Amino acid sequence: MNLSPRARSVARHGEGGVDEPGGDQHPAVGADGQVLRRGQPAGRWRMYGRMAARDFSRNRGVTAALVVLMMLSVMLGTASAGTLVRLIGASSDLMEQADAPHVAQLHVGAFDQAEVDRWVAGRPEVVHHQTMLLLGIDGANLLFDGEPQTASIQQNSLVVPNTERDLLLDLDNRPITQVEPGGIVLPVYHQVEGDLEVGDTVRITAADGFAKDLTIAGFARDSIMNPAIASSKRLAVAPSDFEEVRARTGEVEQLVEFWLDDPATQTAGFKKAYQDAQLPQAGQMVDSNTFQILTMIGDGMVAAVVILVSMLLLVVGVLCLRFSFLTAVEQDYREIGVLKAIGVAPRDVRRIYLTKYALLAGIASGVGLLAGLAVIPLLTRNITRYMGTASGLANWIVPTLAAVLIFVVLVLFMLVLLRRFNRISAVTALRAGATSQPRATRLRLHRSRMPVHLRLGTMDVVGRWPIYLLLFFVFAVSTFIMIVPVNSATTATAPGFINYMGIGAVDVRVDLRHDDATSPEQFERAVEQLGSEPDVTAISPMVTTRHDTLDRDGIAASLYVENGDHTLLPLTYADGRAPTDSSEIALSLLALHQSGRSLGDTVPITVGGQVNALTIVGSYQDITHGGSTAKSVLPTDGEETMWYVIGVQLAGGTDATATAQTYGAQLAPARVSAIEQWRDQTLGPIADQLTIAAGVDAVVAIALAVLMTALFARMLLARDAGPIAIQRAIGADDTGLRQQYLTRILLVLVLGVTVGTVMANTLGELLFNLMFEAMFGGFEMLFQGTSQIAFAVNPLLASLLLPLALLGAVAAATVASSRSIAAASISSLTTE
Amino acid sequence: MTTATATAVLDAQGLTKTFDGHPVLQGLDLKVRDGEFIAVMGPSGSGKSTLLYNISGMDTMTGGNVQFAGQDLGSLSQKQLARLRLTTMGFIFQHVYLLKNLCLLDNIVLPAYLAGLAPRAELTQRAMALMERTGVADLADRDVTEASGGQLQRIGICRALINEPQILFGDEPTGALDSTAATEIMDILGELNAEGTTIMLVTHDTKVAARTSRVIYLVDGRIVGDRQHGPYTGTGLDQRHHELTEWLLHHGL
Ligand SMILES: Nc1ncnc2c1ncn2[C@@H]1O[C@H](COP(=O)(O)OP(=O)(O)OP(=O)(O)O)[C@@H](O)[C@H]1O
Ligand SMILES: [Mg+2]
Repeated sequence: MNLSPRARSVARHGEGGVDEPGGDQHPAVGADGQVLRRGQPAGRWRMYGRMAARDFSRNRGVTAALVVLMMLSVMLGTASAGTLVRLIGASSDLMEQADAPHVAQLHVGAFDQAEVDRWVAGRPEVVHHQTMLLLGIDGANLLFDGEPQTASIQQNSLVVPNTERDLLLDLDNRPITQVEPGGIVLPVYHQVEGDLEVGDTVRITAADGFAKDLTIAGFARDSIMNPAIASSKRLAVAPSDFEEVRARTGEVEQLVEFWLDDPATQTAGFKKAYQDAQLPQAGQMVDSNTFQILTMIGDGMVAAVVILVSMLLLVVGVLCLRFSFLTAVEQDYREIGVLKAIGVAPRDVRRIYLTKYALLAGIASGVGLLAGLAVIPLLTRNITRYMGTASGLANWIVPTLAAVLIFVVLVLFMLVLLRRFNRISAVTALRAGATSQPRATRLRLHRSRMPVHLRLGTMDVVGRWPIYLLLFFVFAVSTFIMIVPVNSATTATAPGFINYMGIGAVDVRVDLRHDDATSPEQFERAVEQLGSEPDVTAISPMVTTRHDTLDRDGIAASLYVENGDHTLLPLTYADGRAPTDSSEIALSLLALHQSGRSLGDTVPITVGGQVNALTIVGSYQDITHGGSTAKSVLPTDGEETMWYVIGVQLAGGTDATATAQTYGAQLAPARVSAIEQWRDQTLGPIADQLTIAAGVDAVVAIALAVLMTALFARMLLARDAGPIAIQRAIGADDTGLRQQYLTRILLVLVLGVTVGTVMANTLGELLFNLMFEAMFGGFEMLFQGTSQIAFAVNPLLASLLLPLALLGAVAAATVASSRSIAAASISSLTTE
Repeated sequence: MTTATATAVLDAQGLTKTFDGHPVLQGLDLKVRDGEFIAVMGPSGSGKSTLLYNISGMDTMTGGNVQFAGQDLGSLSQKQLARLRLTTMGFIFQHVYLLKNLCLLDNIVLPAYLAGLAPRAELTQRAMALMERTGVADLADRDVTEASGGQLQRIGICRALINEPQILFGDEPTGALDSTAATEIMDILGELNAEGTTIMLVTHDTKVAARTSRVIYLVDGRIVGDRQHGPYTGTGLDQRHHELTEWLLHHGL
C-alpha cells in the first residue's frame, strides 16, 4: 500500500539493479544506491549532498522556520552574552579608573575628623581614608535651564572633585580633578534625563533671594552614584563656588571613604567594626559591592530578560528541529529502510541527515552570530553612556563562545534524535511505512455527536499531540511572558502595594529627620496640628530608632525599629499581630530571616545600653530601608532616635496631593507627600521599568505567537498534503477542510493560553517575589520566603483581555494561513 | 443489462487534459450508460487515471465538456463538485488511501457523515452492513495498519458505497492484490453491478476485464478500441477471457 514512486524506484534498484535514469523522478537515491555499493567515498558524499538538497526543497516551509528560529536564538544568545560581558567589563573598568572606595559612610550632623583618624590608626587593613563634603541642595533651590528640580527623586549635592581617589571621570574616562570657577560638571544621568548640554545654565537659589548661575562645563561618570537607581548625585564645582553657595543654602553631609587592603575578605568585618566604634554614622553605609550591584541592576535586568528570551527561543527551536526531523523521517521512512536493506550502515544513513541539519545549524549560527554582534551596540548604548567601554578581547570571544555553545547544543540534540534511525528496521520500513504517522486514537468518529470537521480536528490533535506540542509550548510561553510583566506592573502600581512597604492604609505621609534637639519638638507640633485638622480622620505617629541586635550567626547587626501605637492605621501582617508593648516586636520578613528566628522566639535588642529579649509576635512585608525593619513600642527619648513618620488618613473625598502640599508648607522642615507620590518616588524606576517592560513584552509575545502560527501552519499543511487530498477526493470541500484545520490550531491555542494564564498567575507571582528577594537580599536570599507579595491582578486584563488579544491575533493568522489549504489536491497523492 | 435505449449517465465530449502543455487526454468522447460495467485498459501512461479524475470532477479538465446525470461539470463550483462527488459517485483507489488517524469503520462512515443524508446511527448501521457484506465486519475497530491489503481494499469499497452512489469508479483496485483476493473483489463488484450500480474500472488485467460488460482501450489519451461483450453472468469466464485477448491481439493492442 501507498508505496511512493520514489520508494518504488529505490526498491527496484535495490532488488534488481535495473537502471532507469530517465524514468525516475528522484534519481539521487537510485543512482547513488549503486555508487554506494561500489563504495566510492566521493560519490557517497555527493549523494549525501543531493539528498540534503532535495530535502531542503521539499520542505521549504519547515526548513525556513527552523533556520529562522535557530538564527534568532543564536542572535539573542550572542547579544545577551556580549551585553553582559561589556556591562561587567565597563563597570569594573569604571570602578578601577575612578578608584572607587571600598566602603563609604554618609553622615549628617556633628563630625570630628580627628576621631575617625584616631580609630583608623588602629586598623591595619585600611590603606587610605578620606572625607568628602557633600552640599545637599534642595530641589526647589536647584534649577536646570530654569526648571526647578522639585519633582526629582534625586538628592543633588555640590562637591569639590577629588584629585587622587574616588575620581569623577569625563566621557573619555579621564579624571576631572578641577572645575573652573563659574562652571559645573553634572553627572551623565542629568544629561540623559534632563536633556542638558554643555553651555546650559544651572542656577542655585536660596530663600533670601540669593541666586548663583553656573555654566555646564561637562558631564561626568560617577563610579559610586552613577545609575538612576542610586538616588544621590554629585555635581562638581570649583572650591570658591562651593564655599559661596555653602554660606547661603544647602545642608552639609560627610562622605567618609575607606580603601582596604583586601576588600574581598575584609569588607564585612570592617563595616561591623566601624559601626561598633560609635563613629559618625547618621546615614547610609555602602560598600563597593553595593555600588556595583546598583550600577548593573538596570542593564543587568535587560540582559537577563534577553537571555531568558533567547533560551525560550532555543527551546522552541529544538522543538521545531524535532518536528522537522520527524517530518523528514516520515517522508523518507522507506528510503531509509531500502538503504538499510541494500546494506548501508546505519551510521551512513545518519550522516545524511546530520549533514543536512548540521549545515542548517551552522548557517543559522553564523548569521545569528553576525546579527548578534550587530545588535550589541544597541543594547549597550546605555552602558556606554554611563560607564564608557572597556576594550578587550573578551568582548568578542564571549559572544562567539555563546554562539558556538548554542550550535553545539543543537548538534547534540540532532545526534540524540538521529539515534531513532537505529530502530528503523528494513523490513518494517518497507512493509508498513509508518513511524510517527497519525495513529488511530481511542476517539471514534462514529460514536460522536460533534460536527464532523470539529470532531476530525479534535481527533487529530489528540492522536498526534507530540506534533502540536511545539505550538502548545509557544502559546503557553507567549501568554506567560505577556501576563507576568503586566501582573507585576499592576501589582507595583496598585494602591494596596504600600502594604508591602511597611505602612498601613494611609493617604498622606509626613517624614521628619531627627537632626538635633529641636526635632522632637517639631514632631510633637506636627502630631498636634494634624490631630486637630478637620480633614484628618486618623493619624499614626511613629518614631524610628536604631538598635543593635544579633543575627542568625550571632554577629551583631543593627536594626531600625518603628515605635508607636501600631493598632492605629494598621498594616497587614504576613503572620502574627502588631506588638503592643516594649516586650514585643514584629519583624519584616527579611529581618526575621536574618535573625534566624521564628514567631514566638525572642530576639535580643539593645535599648539604652541594655540587652532586652523581645518576643517576636508578628511578621510583615517591607521593601523599604533595604527590606530589614522592625516594629515595637520602645522608649524614644534616647539617642537611638533616627527619624519620625506620621501616617495620615484623610476624610473621604479629600484631595491627598493638595492637602499634602498645604501641610508641607506648614510643617517644614518635615516632608509631606501624598502616599501615591511617595510610593512612586520610592519605587521610582522599578515601577516605570516594569510598566515599559510589560508593554514591550505583550507586543513581543503576540508577534512570537503569530509568527510561529504562520510557520507551523505551513509545516502542517505541507505535512498533511496526503490526508487532505484523500478527504478532498472522497468529497470534502475546502470549507470543511479549513474548519478541521482551524479546530486543531484553535484547540491547541485555547489549551496553551489557558495553561499559560494559570502559570502566569501562579508561577509568575513566585518569579515576581524572587525578583524582590534578589533585589533586596542578594542572590543568597532567593527562595527564603523573604518576599511574600501577592499579585494584585487586574482580572479583566490578565485573565480576559490579554489572552483574548493573543487568541484574536493567532486566530486571524490561522485563518489567513488556511487559505493555502486549497493547494493540496489529488495530484499530490499521485505524484508523491 | 445494457441496451441502446438506456440513458447515458455520463457523457464526455472532446475531453482534453494537458499537463504543462503536454497533452494527456486528446479530445476524448465517451458515453457511459446507466448500469454499465466498463473496464478501461491501456498501456501505462496512456491517461487512464487522468480520464477517471476528469470525468468525476476531481481534477479540472483543460477542454471539452462532461455531462453527469444531466449536469455540466464544467459549470459547477468547487463546492458543488465536491457535493456531487460525495453524494453520487464512489471512488476506489489502487492504494486505497485511507485516513490513518481513523479506525476502519470511521473511514467508511466519514463520507456519509460529511454528506449527512440520514441520521448518524442509521449511517453507521449501513456501514456495518456493508462491512458484513464484504466480509470484513470484524475489523470495524481496527487501525489502518492492522489489516491486510485485500481487507483494506474491501474497506475502500465500503467507503465508496456508503452514500449509495450512482456510479462507482475504480482505479486498479485489484492491482496490488493476489489473484484470490482480486477474484473476491471482482465478485463483489459484479454483484453490485447486477444490482444496478454503474461501474467504471481501470485495469491491466484481462481476467478482470473479462468480468465486465464493456472494454475501452486507451492509447495516448485516445480511445482506440471499444468492445461490448455483455454482462458476465458467472459462467464461461475462460471463454470470455479468451475472446477478449483475441480481440486485443487482433487490434494490435
Ligand atoms: N499531476 C500530473 N502532473 C504532470 N503530469 C501528469 C500528472 N498526472 C499524470 N501526468 C502524466 O499524464 C500521463 C498519464 O498519466 P496517468 O496517470 O493518467 O496514466 P495511466 O494510464 O493511469 O498510467 P498507469 O497505468 O501507469 O497508472 C503520464 O505521462 C503522466 O506522467
Ligand atoms: Mg494510473
